[in-house]
Amino acid sequence: MARDLPVEDPLVRMQRDLKRALQKNPKDLKWGMVIDIAKCIGCHACTIGCVAENKLPPGVVYRVVLEEETGRYPYVGRRFVPRPCLHCQNPPCTKACPVTATWQTEQGVVIVDYNRCIGCRYCLVACPYAARTSDFGEWYTAETAELPGKLYGQKAAANGYEAHPAAEYGRKWPDRDHDSPVGNARKCHFCLHRLKVGMLPACTTSCVGRATIFGDRTDPNSLVYETIGSPRVFVLKEELGTRPSVYYLK
Amino acid sequence: MITKKWEKNLIILTIIGLVVGSWGMYQRLAHGHLAMNYGSFVPWGLWVAFDLFFLGLTAGAFLITVLTYVFRIKLLADLGPLAVFTVLVTLMCEVIIISLDLGHPWRVYRFLLSPNIGSMLFWLVVFITSMWIIYVPWLYFLLREQLVAWGNDETRPGHKIYRFLALGKTAYTDQERQRDSRRSRFLSYISLPIGLIFFGAHGAIFAILHNRPIWNSAMLPLIFIVAAMLSGGALITFLAYLYQPSDELIQPLGRVILLTLLSFLFLEGLQLFVGYQSKITGIVTSLDLITIGPYWWAFWIVHFLIGSLIPAYLLIRYPENSKMVAVACFIIMVTFLSVRLNYLIPDMAVYKLEGLQNTFYHQRLRPEYVPNLNEWLVSVWVISLGLLTFLLGTRWLPVIQAGKGEEQPV
Ligand code: SF4
Ligand code: SF4
Repeated sequence: MARDLPVEDPLVRMQRDLKRALQKNPKDLKWGMVIDIAKCIGCHACTIGCVAENKLPPGVVYRVVLEEETGRYPYVGRRFVPRPCLHCQNPPCTKACPVTATWQTEQGVVIVDYNRCIGCRYCLVACPYAARTSDFGEWYTAETAELPGKLYGQKAAANGYEAHPAAEYGRKWPDRDHDSPVGNARKCHFCLHRLKVGMLPACTTSCVGRATIFGDRTDPNSLVYETIGSPRVFVLKEELGTRPSVYYLK
Repeated sequence: MITKKWEKNLIILTIIGLVVGSWGMYQRLAHGHLAMNYGSFVPWGLWVAFDLFFLGLTAGAFLITVLTYVFRIKLLADLGPLAVFTVLVTLMCEVIIISLDLGHPWRVYRFLLSPNIGSMLFWLVVFITSMWIIYVPWLYFLLREQLVAWGNDETRPGHKIYRFLALGKTAYTDQERQRDSRRSRFLSYISLPIGLIFFGAHGAIFAILHNRPIWNSAMLPLIFIVAAMLSGGALITFLAYLYQPSDELIQPLGRVILLTLLSFLFLEGLQLFVGYQSKITGIVTSLDLITIGPYWWAFWIVHFLIGSLIPAYLLIRYPENSKMVAVACFIIMVTFLSVRLNYLIPDMAVYKLEGLQNTFYHQRLRPEYVPNLNEWLVSVWVISLGLLTFLLGTRWLPVIQAGKGEEQPV
């Protein structure tokens, strides 16, 4: 029997859920995400959406899509596992940080204070999911030739995009130079700056297969709450006891 | 014994090291971490290995200070002030190289403003600072008598500086001698627990991480302490041979080094055995990287053959020959970097999530890490600075002359 077509795009429902969540007392709110592996088509649109949203420099990536081969020839399969920061409820990374530059907010989002981070990279070593990357100060336009006096060339190209960092954490960061976030640990923050203005995280809206569900995991009427209840649900490396807020559906 | 000619040659060598290494320093200071090879999957590289290496050297010197001033072993008394000075020089190297490894070294004040007392790294910084707070005044109390004497000796070049360092004092009474000796004994007592926790804490930084299969064991802090005692003990024995050559001193030290070396090899063997027997893929893959990976030679040839078997042979075969003991110690000390690298890199150099290798490609997101020239040059610079400080210190400060040790029979 053919499956029923969804009556409503999940994005529309999530948008409604988000609106409701933002009206709640922030203290009663816990953000969560569910990624349906069966729906992920491995297009990497979320990775690119995130890179563009947060203007991530080369080598810094918040959300990758892992590609796994399963089974043995001739019964082989391939599956895709998008991996943002899992916003662990028992995060090893925040405990490692010597200067409290990274912590969990009341809404369960693990964030980094770029101005406080000393760049020791201990949190990178401590994260079991390789979800943190360090900003080494690289530029996409580093190899672009400079053409003085023209509208294009290295400087113009950089100014058009990567010289002005994104408004991560809702802050206006100075133009990219030696200063933060260069030299810092960086990671997914569930696009807090978008949530604040009522927009879903960039990975969620860009997900072509609608495999990413986001919302308030304490709201029984939300899609995310409903999906977490699925018998297909699991978390990555459960044995480590990190209790991620990002769940997966088999 | 180190001759004036040797000392001069070494000083020239360190100056060459500083000049050559300054290219790496320029790269680090002007371009941050851009010119270095570590990345996000292997976030700690050569400099952290050197940090551990210097830590080991600190530990050996620390051991001698404790044996001299806390346990009052007369045999080592001559080495006391030299050992205290060595602790400070190796600590200096450690602090410099680890600061260079930070993304924002100028933010170290953050340790005061927003400390995380639950972080092992925070405690490490507390203990490093405590070591400074203990060892700087301690060295001063040990040297004061000689500083006063040198300040009074108008024929000595720079006697005014010594007078200044002695805070203008021209006489050193018995009473003052006793007071300084009480003070240094007090500092030595507090250095014992602080030092032990300091060396253990280094191992604990790695051992507490759940997700790191070969680090995450209660044995690691112990291995770190033994490793530190081995490499540092070797350094001190070597220095003893150079500065206070006496068979009575070198030979027992040689026996201690041999025992420490065998204990270390035993612990290392145990770790490999337990790791391999666990048959857990993550652990076996990491251990394979050490024993049969592309850098197998660093383990088998540099560490095991040159750094362990040959010195063990020399120490067993020629226990009465101080020169051979010193050679064995020198080999242990210089090859120990391979041990540090072997503890540090392989655990990080294994993908912790299946499929990570096939996704986002970038050279900072790969597990293959080989230190590049800039990283080596910076290390050369720091080592040269340390060596130069040591050589000039032993020349311009009375660390050898003050080495009559307070524990000698009066
Ligand atoms: S996934 Fe990693 S970075 Fe994210 S909260 Fe968990 S431990 Fe921290
Ligand atoms: S890199 Fe920054 S956030 Fe991570 S542990 Fe170090 S100081 Fe904390």
